[in-house]
Amino acid sequence: MHGTHDDGEGLDPGGAARLLARTERDARRQFNLSPPWITAVMGVVILVAYGALWLSTRDQHPYRGPSLGVVALVYGAVAVAIAVSAKVYRRATAGVSGPSVRQQQAEGVAILVSFVLGSPVLQGAAKHYGASDAIVYGVIPAAAPLIVVGTTVLGIAASKADRRQFGAALAVVIAGVVAAFAGPSGAWLVAGIGLFVATVGYAVASRPA
Amino acid sequence: MTADSLDPVIHAPARLRIVATLAALPDGDSLSFTRLQDMLELTPGNLITHLRKLEDAGYLKSTTTGNGRGSRTSIALTRRGRTALDTYTDALRDLLGGL
Repeated sequence: MHGTHDDGEGLDPGGAARLLARTERDARRQFNLSPPWITAVMGVVILVAYGALWLSTRDQHPYRGPSLGVVALVYGAVAVAIAVSAKVYRRATAGVSGPSVRQQQAEGVAILVSFVLGSPVLQGAAKHYGASDAIVYGVIPAAAPLIVVGTTVLGIAASKADRRQFGAALAVVIAGVVAAFAGPSGAWLVAGIGLFVATVGYAVASRPA
Repeated sequence: MTADSLDPVIHAPARLRIVATLAALPDGDSLSFTRLQDMLELTPGNLITHLRKLEDAGYLKSTTTGNGRGSRTSIALTRRGRTALDTYTDALRDLLGGL
């Protein structure tokens, strides 16, 4: 239990400096929305999901799309990632109120809308106009989320002048663009590698000094 | 410069930890009394005593919403409090020749 001292008697400057540094570090850790372990979870989810999608489609000639089992695995992995992220967010922001929390919520809605609507709308339109399965179930679902969501995050990062987030989002958009030209199965591989590199890169760049 | 030159309002373990914790939040954000108490592991009475001293100095602003058991108190560092912590940190650096 701390807080038995009512004044600074007995607190020398060195002790104060250590206490200040320790408190700042603990507070940043407790308010942190992206602790290192969540990056590890996300990295595993990305590798498992995109790896499974690529492995299940790489030998398809002609391309038919991922099997139902793989799609279920991917949805399960995404559900785990969302649940873990939500728990971390709730814990980090418990008791916190103010403009930054409202901004994070607005950013979350923008990202969710772009994720939920971006790819399915394009897939639906492509299917409607008779595009092949390679486009509808390969290129678009692999590349479009990275381009659409990445661009959304790019705008958010630019508005906050957040260089690290901007760099990571730009890497995701570039990966999406490359994936769009990597073929229906190769698109999953390129998208997975790009997303993994951007996630890990952002985590490394965001490490406390 | 000596240790006496350090701001006495901040230069106390509990108050230093309160100010440093609130300073880790983005400018303008508030923290609930209960979360702050959990983070610092202070008794409610002890925390209230230190918060009052910091509020009297103009370093904190507390806001209570609701009534009775449903009431919620939020605490935020004021601009003056953030400046005071910066000044305190600079003074510590001078005393120690760099943190």
